[in-house]
Amino acid sequence: MPKKPSKIDLLQGTLDLIVLKLLRGGAANGWQLTQSIQAISRGVLDVNYGSLYPALRRLEARGWVTAHWAPSENNRRARFYELTAAGRKQLETERASWERFAHALGLILQAD
Amino acid sequence: MLERLKLRARALLRARSLEAELDEELRYHLEAEAARFVARGMSPDEAARAARRAFGNPTQLKEEIRDGWGRRGLERLGQDARYAWRSFRRAPAFALTIVGTIALALGLNTMAFTIFDAYVLRPVAVRDPTSLYQVAWRDRAGSSRAFTWREYQALRTDRSALAESFAFRFLFTRMDSAPAFGQLVTGNYFSMLGVGAALGRTLVSSDASGPGDGSPIVVLSHDAWASRFGADSSIVGKTIRIRGNALQVVGVVAPGFAGLGDVPIDFWVPLTMNDALFVGDSLFGDVTHESIAVIGRLRPGVAAGQAEAWLASWLRARHADAREPDRPGSARLISRATGIELSPQFALFFAPIATAFALVLLIACANVANMMLARGLARQPEIGIRLSLGAARSRVLGQLLTEAILLAVPGALAGFALSRFTIGAGVRLMFATIPTELAPYLRIVPLAPDGRVFLFMLLASLASALLFGLAPALQATRPNIVQATRGDFESGYRPSRLRNGLVIAQVTVCVLLLICAGILLRGVGRLQRVDVGMSTHGVVRLDVNERAGARERTLAVLRAQPELRALAAASNPPFGGRYPVVVGGSASHDVRPLFYNFVSSAYFDLLEIPLVRGRRFSADEEREGAPVVIVSESTARALWPGRDPIGEQLRLAPESAGPRLATRRDAHVVGVVPDVALGTIIDPFEAPVAYYPSAPDHSGMALLARVTGEPEATMRRLDATLAQLAPGVVEDIHTLDVFVIGAVYPFRAAYWVAGALGAIALLLTVTGVYGVLSYVVAQRRKELGIRVALGAAASAIVGLVLRQSLRLCVIGLVAGLLLALGVARLFAANIVRLGTFEPAAFVGGALLVLVACLAAAYVPARRAGRADPMEALRSQ
Repeated sequence: MPKKPSKIDLLQGTLDLIVLKLLRGGAANGWQLTQSIQAISRGVLDVNYGSLYPALRRLEARGWVTAHWAPSENNRRARFYELTAAGRKQLETERASWERFAHALGLILQAD
Repeated sequence: MLERLKLRARALLRARSLEAELDEELRYHLEAEAARFVARGMSPDEAARAARRAFGNPTQLKEEIRDGWGRRGLERLGQDARYAWRSFRRAPAFALTIVGTIALALGLNTMAFTIFDAYVLRPVAVRDPTSLYQVAWRDRAGSSRAFTWREYQALRTDRSALAESFAFRFLFTRMDSAPAFGQLVTGNYFSMLGVGAALGRTLVSSDASGPGDGSPIVVLSHDAWASRFGADSSIVGKTIRIRGNALQVVGVVAPGFAGLGDVPIDFWVPLTMNDALFVGDSLFGDVTHESIAVIGRLRPGVAAGQAEAWLASWLRARHADAREPDRPGSARLISRATGIELSPQFALFFAPIATAFALVLLIACANVANMMLARGLARQPEIGIRLSLGAARSRVLGQLLTEAILLAVPGALAGFALSRFTIGAGVRLMFATIPTELAPYLRIVPLAPDGRVFLFMLLASLASALLFGLAPALQATRPNIVQATRGDFESGYRPSRLRNGLVIAQVTVCVLLLICAGILLRGVGRLQRVDVGMSTHGVVRLDVNERAGARERTLAVLRAQPELRALAAASNPPFGGRYPVVVGGSASHDVRPLFYNFVSSAYFDLLEIPLVRGRRFSADEEREGAPVVIVSESTARALWPGRDPIGEQLRLAPESAGPRLATRRDAHVVGVVPDVALGTIIDPFEAPVAYYPSAPDHSGMALLARVTGEPEATMRRLDATLAQLAPGVVEDIHTLDVFVIGAVYPFRAAYWVAGALGAIALLLTVTGVYGVLSYVVAQRRKELGIRVALGAAASAIVGLVLRQSLRLCVIGLVAGLLLALGVARLFAANIVRLGTFEPAAFVGGALLVLVACLAAAYVPARRAGRADPMEALRSQ
C-alpha cells in the first residue's frame, strides 16, 4: 500500500501570513478559514485549530483584522473576521519577506 | 498599540462577555465541523465527537487565548500580592523597619523635590507662561544693565523678537512700617499676563502707558490684602501711603498670582508713578537713565536663541556710540515661566544639594537591600524548594519584586506624610531661628504638592523598590538545584560581596555628609568669630527716601534724640552688599580695580575704625565733597609699596568714574585705615578700598546712628518717633548686627541641613552595619560554634567579627575622606571664608563614623562570642 504523503506541520509564524492572505479575499469565520486552508493546500497543510483561534485573536489585538458577529450560511451567529488597512499592509510585508526567504532557501537547496 | 491597549482594557472590564464570545465562537466551530461530518453521512452524535476530537482540548485553547489578553499576568500579580502580604504578616517587625526606612529617605527627598518644584518647575499662574522671557544684558565690563524708558518704547514697538512686552521696576519699601515688596509696572502688565482681579480691578493700559498718565493708584496682592488688611472687603477706594504718597487701592489681584520671579510681590503701582516714588530718579526726563527691566512674550515661531541674537544686535545698534566698557557684551533671555529659571548655573548650584539628598535615599535603599538579602537567607530553604519543584525563576523573581513594591508603596505614602510635616516644621523653624527683624523679609512661595510631586514620589518609590528588591531577589533565586536536592539550602547563599559593597558605600556616603556638615559648622563658627575690624553693636542703620526735605527732617529728628551718641552716613554701609568698583591708581603705577565708598566724616569714629595714618575728613571736605580720599591699608600697599601714601594722588580712569566721582578724579590721600569688612562678610577684607567724603544729607546715603541702650529696643523707639515726626520717610531701619547675622544665616541653614542629613545617614549606617553583622553572625553560627568547641576564646571570636566590620568601615572611611576632600575644594573655590581643609571636620567626621560602626558591630560580635558549641555540633 502506497504510503499516504504525511501532512506537513506549519512553519512557525506562517499561520498569520496564511490567515491574512485568505482574509484578503473577503470576510470569513474561523471554521471557514480551516476549510479553506485544507481545501487550497489540498489537505497537505495541517492546521491545528487550537492555534488558529489564538492567532485570530492575536491578529485582532494587533489591529490587522477586525471581527464582528454575523449570520453564517447555515444561519447561525458566527464571528467573521475582516482585513483592515493595516492588515493589508502587513500582508504585503510578510508576503515579500516570505518570498525572499523562500527564494534564498531555494538557492541554498539547489546549490551543490 | 492603541488597539492592543483597548483590547487589554476590554479584557479587564468585560472579561465575562469576552469569555462568552469566545465560547460561542468555538461552539460554532464545533457545530459547523459536526455538520460537515453529518453531511458525509455520520450520525449527529458521532459527528459531534469527531469534531471535538479534531479540535483538541478546548480548555487549554481558551487558556492560551486568555494569556494573549494579558490576564494571566494580572492574576499572578494578585496572587503574588496575597502571598507577600501573608509573609509580611509573619514578620511584621521586618516589614515595618523597611517601610520606616524607605519612608524616612523618600520623605526627605520628596521634601527637597517639593521645594525644587515650587521654585523651578511649577509654572507661574499666568496665561502661556512658557513664552515669557526677561530681557537681560551685560556690557563689555560685565556689569548687568537695565533699560531706559525710550529703549523700552523702541523694544515694545519693534516686534521682531517679542510679540508684546511690559516694563517694570522693583520697589522695596514699607507699608504701615512693615517691609513690603512692590513693583512699578506698565499698564499692560495684567492684561498681558491674563491675570484678573479678585476685588475691584487690576491696572489697565491707560493707567501707565506714558508720561502724563501717573494716577496715584495701587493694586494689592491677595496675600498682602489678607495678611496686612485683614481681607477687608471694602478695601477698594481706601488710601494707603507708600513713600509718603497717598495711593488709592483700586483692586486686589486674584489669588494664586504674586508676580513673576521667586519673591512674592505685595503690591503693584503704575510705572508712571516712578517720579513720585523715586524722587530725583526721573524715568522720562533723563534719557540715558537705565532703571527699568523688560519682560516680553516671545513671538511664536521664534526660538529663544534667535531672539537673543536679534536682541544683541539691536542693543549694539542702540549703543553704537557708547564708550568701550559700556558697549553691549551679551544679551540673554531669562525664562520667567517658573519662579527660578533652570539655567546651567542654577543646576550647578543645586546639584550638590540634590546629590546629598539622593545619597541618603541610596543609603536607605542599601540598608533595605541588606535586610532583604538577610531575609533571603532566612527564606532560602523555601525558595530553594520552590525552584527545585520547577517554579520558573522569573516567577519567583516576580514574586520577590512584588514584595519589594508592596513595601515601597506604604513607604512612599508614609514618606509623603513625613515630607508634609518636615516642610511645615522647616518653615516654622526658619521663622523661629531668624532674627525677628529679618522675618518679614523671608518670603516663601506656597509649597503645596502637585502632580509633579506625586509623579516624583511614584518614580522614586518604584526606583528604590527596584534598587533594594532586584539585587536580593536575583541573589536569592540563583539556581542551585544540586544543593537544594541535598536538603542544604543555606551554604550556597553567600552574597557577601554585594552585602559588603553596600556597607562600604553606606560608610562612604555617611562620612562624606558628616564631613561636609563639619566644614560648614566650622565655617559658621569662623564667620561668627571673624574680626570685622569695626564695632557694629549698638549701631542702627536707616535708609530714607529722597522726597523733598525727607533727609533733612530725619537728620533733625535723629539729632534731637537723647539716645543718639553719634551719627554718620555711607553710600555703602557695612554688610549692605558688595561695594561698587572704580578703576584707578597712583601716578607711577598701573591702574587696578578699587572698591569705593562715600562716607561722612564721622563714619570711622562711629564704627570705631582706627586711623592708621593721617587724618579724618574735615567738615568742610565732607560738605563740599572735596577731592580727598582715605584709603585702606591694602590700597596703600598695592599703590605705594614701601612709601607713605599721605599726600599722594589717587587717580581714577575717566571712563570708569561716574558723575559723582568725576570731580575727584585726582584726589589727595589724607588718611589710611585698616582693612575691614566690606559689603559682605564672606569676601576677603584685604581688598583695595577708597573712601571719599560726602555729607549725610546727600541723596543715596544710608544713615548710621550709634545709640545708647539695648539696640533693638532703641531702634524701635527711633522708628516710632520718626513715624510721628517725619512720616513716610524711613524706607528701612535695622540694627547693624542683624546684617551680620543675616549674612551668616544661610551658612547656618546649610549646616543644619547637612547636619540633619549626616545624622540620618549615620543612623541608617549604624542600623545597616548592625543588621548585616547580625546576619553574618547568624550565618556563621555553625562555624563559630566549631571554633569555640575547638577552644577559641570568646574574646577571639568577638575580635574576629569586629575585625571584619572594621575592614569594611575603613575602606568606606578612606573613600569618604577622599570624596570629602574633593567637595571641600569645591566649597573653598566658591566661598572664600570656608576652609579647604578643616582637620577637625575630617577627623571628627571619620572618628564619629568609626566609633558608631564599631558600636553597631559590637552587639552581634558579643552574640557571636557566646556561640554555643553544642548547638553547632548537634546540627551537623
